[in-house]
Amino acid sequence: MEVFVPMDEALTRALQRIEQSVSLEEQDWEALTAGSDLISVGLAADEARRRHHGDRVTFVQVVEVPLDNAEASDPIPEQAGEVRLVGRPETVSQTIKAVKALADWAGVVPVTGFALEDLLDLCGNKSEKLERLLQQLRQAGLAMVSRVAFDALGKPEPILAALRAGGMDVASLCVDSPSGATFREALLEVASWKRVGTVFRSLAPLARMDPDLPSTGYGDLRRVALARLLVDNIGSIQVDWARHGSKLSQVALTFGADDVDAVSAVASSDQGWRRSPREEILRNIAAAGLTAIRRNGGFEEVADEG
Amino acid sequence: MSVSSISDRVLAGTRLDRDEALELYLDCSTSQLGRLAGAVRARRHPAGLVTYIIDRNVNYTNVCIARCAFCAFYRPIGASDGYVLGFESIFQKIEETIAVGGVQLLLQGGHNPDLPLDWYEDLFVQIKTRYPDFKLHALSPPEILHLSRLSQQPVSVVVERLVAAGLDSVPGGGAEILVDSVRRRLNCESKATAEEWLSVMRQVHLSGLRSTATMMYGSVENPEDRVEHLCRLRELQDETGGFTAFITWSYQPPNTELSGVEATGIEYLRTLALSRIVLDNFDNLQASWVTQGGKVGQLSLAFGANDMGSVMIEENVVRAAGAEYCMDEAEIVRNIEDAGYVPKRRNMVYDILGDPLYRQQSIPRRTKLAVARRNGDAIAPVELSRYSARSQFGKQQRQAIDKP
Ligand code: SF4
Repeated sequence: MEVFVPMDEALTRALQRIEQSVSLEEQDWEALTAGSDLISVGLAADEARRRHHGDRVTFVQVVEVPLDNAEASDPIPEQAGEVRLVGRPETVSQTIKAVKALADWAGVVPVTGFALEDLLDLCGNKSEKLERLLQQLRQAGLAMVSRVAFDALGKPEPILAALRAGGMDVASLCVDSPSGATFREALLEVASWKRVGTVFRSLAPLARMDPDLPSTGYGDLRRVALARLLVDNIGSIQVDWARHGSKLSQVALTFGADDVDAVSAVASSDQGWRRSPREEILRNIAAAGLTAIRRNGGFEEVADEG
Repeated sequence: MSVSSISDRVLAGTRLDRDEALELYLDCSTSQLGRLAGAVRARRHPAGLVTYIIDRNVNYTNVCIARCAFCAFYRPIGASDGYVLGFESIFQKIEETIAVGGVQLLLQGGHNPDLPLDWYEDLFVQIKTRYPDFKLHALSPPEILHLSRLSQQPVSVVVERLVAAGLDSVPGGGAEILVDSVRRRLNCESKATAEEWLSVMRQVHLSGLRSTATMMYGSVENPEDRVEHLCRLRELQDETGGFTAFITWSYQPPNTELSGVEATGIEYLRTLALSRIVLDNFDNLQASWVTQGGKVGQLSLAFGANDMGSVMIEENVVRAAGAEYCMDEAEIVRNIEDAGYVPKRRNMVYDILGDPLYRQQSIPRRTKLAVARRNGDAIAPVELSRYSARSQFGKQQRQAIDKP
């Protein structure tokens, strides 16, 4: 049901240009990013999202393991859909050893980890070495690299080639530089890349936390909506439950996002009054009028036990 | 009636009845509900201003005999952490508030049987003597009713005496949900039934004071109860026109007897949007950033709010339930401008007082809200011995103050 409320002319024009895949002019950007009519931008993004995903929202419950303590001994949390190694790798052998140890522990639960830029660093910024490392990590049991920052990619072709040859995908392409101008350039750049949707499984558009100048609710939702409207070569637009909080993340689901990362796999012991993280995410997705689909760290749907 | 035809009625400025409001609330998509609320708000506030007030939220006592099941703030009589603020401490808070451009105190507290009506009168008189231009937005309807019961005076007399002492306006707290079956389940019917809350407000308005109105949703009520609540407020506003603004917030479960889980951010935005649509005779709707956080607080502006509420300076009640958000004036202004609106300072009756103050004078940034009591503050100030106590504990406390 479309409620007809007259929209600002400049915004109408900008949204029409997006729909017709016509490149945006300065005044269009102004209308999309500075006006007070956030809802119209969100509605357009929500429509685009529904064209791709209907009312489905995927989410993954993650257990994080620090790289320097990868010898996990407790049983894997029952709700975990992904085991994620976090931390900066120091050496190739340490990295491979940690992945092997975790893969043994995780069993059928996919193990992910690392920022791609850190792995590239480890390889002296040589894409051939990266390809070899990715192959070794895959053999050790790494299902996916967790993230890559857009800023770190530069010219992406050699890295994309290494990823393809190494048989490795990246879970999240993070366009998280805090500056608006860079965000705009980044979105347009990403949208121009060919055949990346099978390598970068989701686009995470929300900015990194800046304690001195926190992002705003309008700013965050505009980023989510614009990512959805302008980038159609990566299927999922992702929000991070842990980093951005349940309230903002939930609203983002009605502004174009369709995937929720980093839902905890364990209930926080200091907040025993909360429901379990699974119940909490299911409740939030349902309250947004959407259907929750549990996925694992390999972006595969996980059937619920009933 | 379909959501589409109800929406047309909203856009045409036609009042919704209970059934229509409920249908919209249950069946309209969140974005569309926001869009309708935005249209109603734009009709009432075409200039694109968003207001806020610099005032301080002070809770003079946490001792309370009402024992509402949803409240994490109160302490029973005799509790070791039960407190009453001293007059000097309140004066100091006022001075700190004036120093950052504050214009009023939002003064509320528990139903403490050991604070008689003359304690309030003396406090108000002394505040007005020291700070004649400073406003007192104080005592929600259940507190007034409590004073009426305690002093055995009719509400009209209590209000008259408080006004004579310096009361300027009345906050709309204690409304929760104005449906008695809900109030019974929240154990707050005895502090004020729905009709009692409304009749105290009626009396306040008849006395020439203005007030705000509130709704706490997300505890045990259902959507019908929320709609009923809004309609009851709308009816009283038709009658008196005394409400300046409406504020809704979600029940905060941590540390309460009732427990449970907090309603989600989307439920907040939907409830706010519905309120804007149903309360067609209210000018102003405030964002509740103190319960929702700064981000969803700012998003309120897209869902019908035209006011960012107060900078607060101090907050104790929501904090007791675990939520701790802070926005100083600079942060409120940044959020208003970021949303595409023009920020203006206001007073309680929504007169525009001017542009952001921190741009005109140096005001230290605040990253944390203050609390009622500083470490080492007395929990029973000396002047209490001048006032009669009802409880055994209060009487003993007086004796201890008299004979240290
Ligand atoms: S909400 Fe107010 S009246 Fe109820 S217990 Fe808390 S302090 Fe007392």
